[in-house]
Formats: sequence, C-alpha cells, structure tokens
Amino acid sequence: MVNNITILMGGIQGEGVVSAGINLMKTLSKLGYYTYGCRSFSSRIKGGNNTITLHASTEKILCIPDKSDIIIAFDDETIPQNIDKLKEDGLILYDSTLKDDGYKDYKSTPLPMTEIAKTAGSTIMKNTCGMAFIGRILGIDRLIFEESIKEKYAKKADSIITQNLKALELVYNHSIDIQMDHLILTGGDGFSRPLMIGNEAIALGALMAECRFMAAYPITPASEIMEYLGNLLPRYGGVMMQVEDEIAAVNMVIGASYAGTRAITATSGPGLSLMQEGIGLASMTETPLVIVDSQRVGPSTGLPTKHEQSDLYSLYYGGHGEYPSIILAPASVEDCYYDTIRAFNLADEYQCPVIILSDLSLSLSPQTIDPLTYNEDIINRGKLMDKGRENFEAFSFTEDGISQRVLPGTVGGEHHVTGLEHNQLGLPSNDSVNRRKMMDKRFKKIQPLESLQEVCLTKNHKESVLLLTFGSNYGIVKEAVELAGNKYDYGYIKVIKPLPKDQLKDLLDTYKKVIIIENNFHGQLAKIIIGQLGYKDKISSIHKYDGSPFTPFEILEELGGLI
Amino acid sequence: MSATKDYSNNVNPTWCPGCGHFSILRALQIAASRLEIPKESLVSVSGIGCSGRLSGYMSSYGFHGIHGRSLPIAQGIKLSNKDLTVVASGGDGDGFAIGLSHTLHAIRRNIDMTYVVMNNQVYGLTKGHTSPLSDVGFVTKSTPYGAIDSPIRPGILTLSSGATFFAQGFSAFQEELVEIIIKAIQHKGFSLVNVFSPCVTYNKVNTYQWFRHQLVNLQEDENYNPNDLQGAFNTLLNTNGLCTGLVYQRVDSEGRSETNDTPLSKLDLKITEEEFNRLMNAFK
Repeated sequence: MVNNITILMGGIQGEGVVSAGINLMKTLSKLGYYTYGCRSFSSRIKGGNNTITLHASTEKILCIPDKSDIIIAFDDETIPQNIDKLKEDGLILYDSTLKDDGYKDYKSTPLPMTEIAKTAGSTIMKNTCGMAFIGRILGIDRLIFEESIKEKYAKKADSIITQNLKALELVYNHSIDIQMDHLILTGGDGFSRPLMIGNEAIALGALMAECRFMAAYPITPASEIMEYLGNLLPRYGGVMMQVEDEIAAVNMVIGASYAGTRAITATSGPGLSLMQEGIGLASMTETPLVIVDSQRVGPSTGLPTKHEQSDLYSLYYGGHGEYPSIILAPASVEDCYYDTIRAFNLADEYQCPVIILSDLSLSLSPQTIDPLTYNEDIINRGKLMDKGRENFEAFSFTEDGISQRVLPGTVGGEHHVTGLEHNQLGLPSNDSVNRRKMMDKRFKKIQPLESLQEVCLTKNHKESVLLLTFGSNYGIVKEAVELAGNKYDYGYIKVIKPLPKDQLKDLLDTYKKVIIIENNFHGQLAKIIIGQLGYKDKISSIHKYDGSPFTPFEILEELGGLI
Repeated sequence: MSATKDYSNNVNPTWCPGCGHFSILRALQIAASRLEIPKESLVSVSGIGCSGRLSGYMSSYGFHGIHGRSLPIAQGIKLSNKDLTVVASGGDGDGFAIGLSHTLHAIRRNIDMTYVVMNNQVYGLTKGHTSPLSDVGFVTKSTPYGAIDSPIRPGILTLSSGATFFAQGFSAFQEELVEIIIKAIQHKGFSLVNVFSPCVTYNKVNTYQWFRHQLVNLQEDENYNPNDLQGAFNTLLNTNGLCTGLVYQRVDSEGRSETNDTPLSKLDLKITEEEFNRLMNAFK
C-alpha cells in the first residue's frame, strides 16, 4: 500500500489519452484523494505524442514528483521519450498491439487495451480501458467507474454506456500476470473535491466578481478563460466576444469598463505586447482594467505550448511612458479564483490596470482543490458615484490621488477622458505644473499597496535561508523543501507590482540569504527587487528557461551549489 | 427641447480657421439637439489626429482614445450600456489605415452605433503626410515624388463588408450633413458616415472648391434608391465615390441582437450560494 502514486500516460495526440487521465483524476478527487496533473503537448491538433502525468496522494501536493511509478503507453514514442522519468522499480504497461518495449531492466507487461475495446464494441474506448486498468491496479472498486461512466455518457446513446461498461468488466476480469499489490492506494478521506485548472478558476472568479463582459482573441495558454466565460456569461446576461485582435480586445474592455460593466480580457505574451498601448490608455484615463497574462515561452512566438515566467519585465517596463499598474501573481488554482475577485476590486478602487499574472503550468494543470468559499460581500467598487455635479472633475486632485468616478448615463456627470495629459476636468492640457501634479496623483494612488503583507511565508524556523518564488513554482518549491527535511523557510510573493516593499525589507534584513526561484533567463523578479530595494549581496537566484517547469530535485540540486 | 449650444463645452477648437471639422462638430451638435438626446446619454468617442479632438469639444460624455481604436472602445461602451447613444469619430487614418480592421469588424457586428469618418485625405496633425485615401500623385512630406499607391475606396469597401448603413456628407453642405447624421443615429445597427472635410493647410488639391465641382448630390436624383445595394455599388463606381447623401441603408437591419434586454451595466449581478454550488459541482 502506498499513500501517493505518480502515473505517466502517453499516446498519440487527439486520441483521448489526456481526457482519460483527467477522468481518472476526477474519479480520484471524488474519493478524497488530492491529484495534480501535468500535460505535455505539441502545437498541433492531431498526431504527435502527448502525455499526462498525474500524481495522486492522500496529502495535498501542487507538483509532479521527478519520477513516476507507472508509465502506461498507447503509442511507440511514450516509453523511449519518458523512460528517464520512471523510478528504478517502476512499472511499464503498454498496449498489447505495440511492439515489445525491450526495456528489460524494468518490470513491464502488455495490456490488451485496444483488444478489449474492440471486443466491447470500438477501439475508441482503449483510453477507458487504460483508465480502468490503472484504477484496478490502485485498488479502486469497479462500481466507482461504473457510476462515472454512467454519469459521463448520460446524454449519449444507451449503446455507448453499455459498451463502456462491457469494456470495464473485461478489464477488471482480465488476469494480469505481474505482481502489483504494492501499488494499491491507501483510502482517501472520502471528501469529494472539485478538479479545476487555473484558467477555469480565473473565469469563475470573474463571474463571481460581477464581471459581465469579456473580449478576447484565442491564444495558448489563455483560451480556456474565454471558452468558459463564453459558456457562462450569456447565462447571466453577459457577453463574451471573440474579436479581431488583442488590440480590439483590450480597447473594447476599456470601453465596457468605462461604461460601468466589470470587464476582462485574457492573453499570453504575444497578445500582451499588442495590448501595451491600451494598458497605458487605461492608466491615463484612470479606467479600471483587468487583464490575465498567462505566460508562455517568448520572445515572439517562442514555444507556444511550453512554460515560462518571462513577462515580468514587459509588464513592469513595457509600454511607453510611466504609469501605475498592479500585478497579482496567484500560486494555486484557489489563488486564481480569489485573486481574480481581488483584481476587479483593486481595479475599481485604484482606477488603474490590474494584471493577473499566471503561467502555463498554473493555467493548464488540473488540480484537486479545496472547496472555494462563497462570500456574499466581496465587491468593492471604490469611489463610484451615482450622481454627478456641475463641472464634474473626474480627475480631481485628492489626498489619496483617487478621484470620484461617474458612469456615462449619469445626469450632471458629463465629462471627458483622454489619453492626452489632461486637467482635472479631463480636457487636454499642456501646462507643466498640471502635468507634474497629474503624474504625482496617478502614482500616489497605488502607494498604500507597498506596505501590505503580500509575501506568503511558510516558516520552518530556520531563519538563515529564505526561498522566494511566484506562480506555479510555489508548489514545486514547497515539495522540494519538504523532501529536504524542511531545512528552509520559503514563500511566494502575491503582488509583484507594486512590490510589498516594507515586508520585503523586513525579510531581507532577517535572512542571511534570499534565493529567488523563477522560470526565465535573467532572473527578472530578483533583478526587479534588487533594483528597487538593493540587497544585491543577499539575493541570489535560480532560474530555468528550457520550457519546462522545475522539478523538486532540480531545485535541490541548484540549492546545493548555492548554500 | 435642447439647444445646439447645450452640446458645446465652449472650449475653443485647435483646428485651423476654415477646417472642415468645425462643420462636422456643429452638425453633430445640431443632430443631437434635434433628436433631443439627453446629454448624459450621449457618448462621443474619438481617435487620434485633428479629428480626434472632437470629443473634447462636446458637452456630453467623451472618450478620446488611442490612434485607430475609437471603434473598439465605442463598441465596448455600447455593449456595456445599450441605453447610451454612441457616436465614434476619427480621421481617414484612424478608419482606413491603423484602424482598418476594426472598421470592417465593426461593420460585421452591426452594433447599434454611428461612426463618422472626418476624411480630409491627408494626415494633418503630423504636419502633412499621405493618407491611404490620398489620390495617386498627391505630394506630401512623406511622398515627395507623389503618392504611388491607389487610394482605398471607403464606400465600396464598406458596402462589400456588409454595411447596413453608409452615407457621405461634405463639410460645406451642413444641412445635408445634419440630416445624414440624424438618419445614421436613428438607424438600427452600425452606421458609417464618410464626410469630405477639407484640410485647408495640407491638402491644396481636394479643396472646398474642388469638391463643389466634383460631388454629385444623390438627394437631387429622384430615381436614386438607397435601399438597392447593386444600385449603390454602381453609383459609387460611376462617381468614383464622389457623391453625397444616403448611399445605402438596409431596411431590415435590427442591429446586433443583444443577449439580454437589460444593459449589462444595470444587470442584477447577484449569484446565490445555491447557484455557486451548482457551478462548483460541475467540476466534480
């Protein structure tokens, strides 16, 4: 019996291996296990090898371990491409129609997945068979799968259900001549939890934050946000529009937000580059704007289906001129949900662009999550007024830099906004005194954020080394620290712009060394922190930029060289 | 009854004396007053260039955006609150160079709003550069040997993109322009009005006098049927686009169907805990 297990499933893209893996994760989540899945895919529609590695555990885990316990192959490429990820005592299972794998050092056995599927009615069900074989190996009752098949195909023809149930029965009755009892999972806690990807949590967060408009252009790895909101919004009176390009998307969202509807767009690096001028416009007109940037490998088209965290510089320094904006960096699917709600509130409160900074791993990796809390009172629309007055000053100078806002349609609030420098009435102004005051006003707005506590820390009371990271890396760092016997304190930074300066200073004063872990070439976060706070001698960084996330052992190896 | 001056904020325009844009601004204000649009319900959205300043001279809600993007902003506003009357404006560069794709896609969407192109066939605010609507041979600082590329034909392009309303006006014919803008605002769907608006400083070819000699007034032709698409194409080809009046209007245009009768910005946004749990259960 084990309390966690890692399984790599691979096959030809488009044949349903990934969805079989996700169905298995859903079933395990229902039984009270925590799961985390990692997909690898090529930038093509059909053909080419793709895999899903899934980890199931009785404890919550936010990454995939370095090595798998089982590889299950539906095509000839899966095993040679992933054999280095198999534990020494790992098990290879392969479809019996494939040629003998030839990996004699490992325990391996063919399974008649295609054959059983064919007998039951159609080879299409070979993935169902694969899923069922794994379920059987993990000691999951056949009835559980029966239920999930009935549920999944409830709207399909009866024959489909019958065929799948037949396949399931044949799998469970097939005799396997290899010892696998040690792979049985200890029981889950029986508490049924949802399985979500970051992009779905962001979309759901937007809906709950009362967002009712989205304009976007499809791009990997952000499209699921527009897909899910495209399904959700019309059901609640809202609109999701796929538009001609990201420039249209950001400007349409600015228009919708200006007119009072909470609105969002989502993109990745290439789209973000196109949106830069619009982001500047939102900051100049002080229009609330929420953008999701799900990072992938750049520059240019880079590696569209691979992971990176390299947009910090372009979000910090991109776009012409200087303007305030806020960057939130969720580290888990749960964070994606809560941070999205927070993003809308911050955008309204500070009347400026807010970026939800995700990354490919966080956006696309399915995770079993703890239940999201429903809260009635989560909306803060800032200084939004329902009445105007004569000569309404939408850009009045105030103590905190934030002016009152009225929406078009409000009697007596008529006013002008412009991307030109402007006076308090919003009319173009060349005056140099006014220019300085307006710049000061805009930057003053977000200053209070600098004194908030935005680094989430796990203290092991080893206050000499702090490992600091952001985004999906957090789960990997956590696992690495636990594997190393909790020798380090670690944490993740939730707000990257403006930096929580006060808290960071405290941390940099407390620790002898702060090691910043990120997926880019330059160590962008480390450089941004050093640029603003100094402490060059205390900060070092670990970075990886080959398109794949860190593994826990890679982090430990790098740490070995630094400490 | 609202007066024309109610829609003016009394800011002195930066346009050159004699600029065609004065007439467009005034025509828009007169149209708003005749239609009695409450000024809190009127949103003027503009692009960049001389034309872009228009929103800053209106006493209404105004959004002066970035170059070429007045249409996405305006569509976002209208989709957000369909009770508003949204009039976007911009120059020939906004509409047919940097923002061309937005123009075509706005036409496709047929959202109930109006777009006024203040067309002077030259880039004035950059101090005289060629426009995609400049004639071949037109000499500017960026085409010192004369423009080589053939100009875009706004009418043909607009109609072939599926426009449900297309009209043309001329700054010197103010009453006609007012009537056209009124019809455009009343049209259910996306209405595009191309206005010949002479630049007195940088366009010494397409002058007021030149237009007076060239333009054919469609309203003077009793047989002209603005609901006949084929006829509209023929007229645009025969006049080389140099005609004014309502060129084409699709009578059965309803505008883009909205998903809900309530403006988005006024929706009841409450989602109950029961509903939330139902959404979450879909992930189990």
